[in-house]
Amino acid sequence: MTPFRLALCLLALGLVGAWQVTLIPESPIQMPVGPILTPAVVVGVLLVIALLYGLSAWRGRQLDAVLGDDGQPLPGANRRMLMLLGGGAAFVLLAVPLGFVIPATLCGMGVARAFDEPLGWRSALVCGTIALLFWILFAQVLGVGLGPAVAWPL
Amino acid sequence: MNAFDSLMGGFANALQPMTLMYGFIGCFVGTLVGVLPGIGPALTIALLLPLTYHVPATGMFVMFAGIYYGAAYGGSTTSILLNTPGESASVVTALEGNKMARRGRAGPALATAAIGSFVAGTIGTLALTFVAPWVVEAALAFGPAEYFSLMILSLVAVSAVLGNSVLRGIASLTAGLLFGLVGLDLQTGQPRFTFGQTELLDGIEVTIAAVGLFAVGEALYLAWQGKETKAGEVMKVTGSLWLSAQDWSRSWKAWLRGALFGFPIGAMPAGGAELPTLLSYYTEKKLSKHPEEFGHGAIEGVAGPEAANNAAAAGVLMPLLTLGIPTSATAAIMLSAFQGYGIQTGPTLFSQQGSLVWTLIASLYIGNVILLVLNLPLVGLWVKLLKIPPPWLYAGIIIISTAGVYGAGNSVFNVGLLYVFGLIGFAMRRFDFPAAPLIVGLILAPMAEQSMRQALTISMGEWSTFVTRPLSASLMAISVILLIAPPLVRRWQQKRVATA
Repeated sequence: MTPFRLALCLLALGLVGAWQVTLIPESPIQMPVGPILTPAVVVGVLLVIALLYGLSAWRGRQLDAVLGDDGQPLPGANRRMLMLLGGGAAFVLLAVPLGFVIPATLCGMGVARAFDEPLGWRSALVCGTIALLFWILFAQVLGVGLGPAVAWPL
Repeated sequence: MNAFDSLMGGFANALQPMTLMYGFIGCFVGTLVGVLPGIGPALTIALLLPLTYHVPATGMFVMFAGIYYGAAYGGSTTSILLNTPGESASVVTALEGNKMARRGRAGPALATAAIGSFVAGTIGTLALTFVAPWVVEAALAFGPAEYFSLMILSLVAVSAVLGNSVLRGIASLTAGLLFGLVGLDLQTGQPRFTFGQTELLDGIEVTIAAVGLFAVGEALYLAWQGKETKAGEVMKVTGSLWLSAQDWSRSWKAWLRGALFGFPIGAMPAGGAELPTLLSYYTEKKLSKHPEEFGHGAIEGVAGPEAANNAAAAGVLMPLLTLGIPTSATAAIMLSAFQGYGIQTGPTLFSQQGSLVWTLIASLYIGNVILLVLNLPLVGLWVKLLKIPPPWLYAGIIIISTAGVYGAGNSVFNVGLLYVFGLIGFAMRRFDFPAAPLIVGLILAPMAEQSMRQALTISMGEWSTFVTRPLSASLMAISVILLIAPPLVRRWQQKRVATA
């Protein structure tokens, strides 16, 4: 990923936004400004900004942390990110069938792995303890709806 | 009823045991999040928003205010002992504070930060107490056109003044406005940007965006870098926690000057706390009788910025309570909390919810005392927390973030959206896009659109209403100046350097 590619992503977002604006139904109520104007203006500004940012990035005037004080990431950057995102994906896929604690444990293990803690019993124990403590605090003490701690799909 | 009488009434409520308990919890949690890098008050308040269904409004806002102030206090501990600011406004404290710690003066550094925070926080709260009613009087003259113009000013100020680039700031703001328009149009019920998803009909919760950007995004960035695998070097707390006579004489003026910087700048749109802390540092450096100590551990370099930081926290509450305008990401999330209780902030807040507001203000005074008592004796506890290895620290942060978002709506769709915002936050961090404009844009977009449409309905569709009404025209003019001035000034400075 580079600033220029990010500009392309912003442009894509703007184009998707423009497509969505065309889908907004006209209001049946008579009014000076309907539901379409503001989204259209915002999307228009976004497209202009994306073009300006892209031009500036193409000229090499935009920042990338890789080139800054923090420098290049250590090898395995994408793997670490995928581990963290994988933990999140595990929670999204398993929270409904398995309850809160097990998916949250897997989520935590993914995050810990992203920070170079090996996947293993220690990671499972620590993350499991954190997940259970948070479930007790949020669901039992504070009454927040987290669902059951553990659920079996069968 | 004048401000003093209202404040006394507020104290009567704030000193109730349950309210005091919430205040204490807020101060404790706030200091905790201020100490721990990676979590800030905005994220913490966002994670606690689900509690608005279970906790009375007064207790909740007293707790939020405690968290907000507490984070300002707590951030100084990591700055001084770890050279890693716990939150962005404590960056300047690290410049001198950590150097003092390395010279064996961690105790006086922590003490001047805590006492300065107390002094300036109290001054800021006093200013809030007596200035707020005047602002409310002035704001009663505001109509929809003026509110729209004021929101435009806030949006422009947040994106053009903060951060290193107007272009990136406006890009962030525009993305926030776009996200803020997702959902049903409030006036006509038409769905916008929902992609046919029923989960998006109510819009994107500010909690999801804030937690995604600040927690998941930060964790993704640090994981990507790969350099945060061990806890940093934590300095021992050496030196007495009691200030010597010389330390007092060098600190007290810095505290007062810091408070004078912090409150008015914190109250302005996009003022925030970072700018006053920087101004305070450079002022103290200029005025100090020991300028040679700066860069090597000058106590004024800790006293002034920490005071400015805490006074700014009180300043930020002023436009939020009196005008209903959030001027920082944390204030935007607190506004979301008010909306969750069905409370409209702005000039009518003082008349319709006077008891809540004055209890909140009174609790700020009490909170300052609690924080002074908490910070110094418990510094040993905070030091232990700093030694948590990053894998467990960030695992805990992400689990609690996921739990908070999942618990708010019992929806895995929201959790998925959380990680999408996490990726956006990573990209913003990597390519230096400021996050605050996105959050402020997200929350102000529907409000600004509503005000604009109301103003046009009143003016029978005449767009000139925004420039013919004097107050509205003035606010629009300031917005234009703020938009074009920074790049023009920068270009002028570059030309000067080139010709020199």
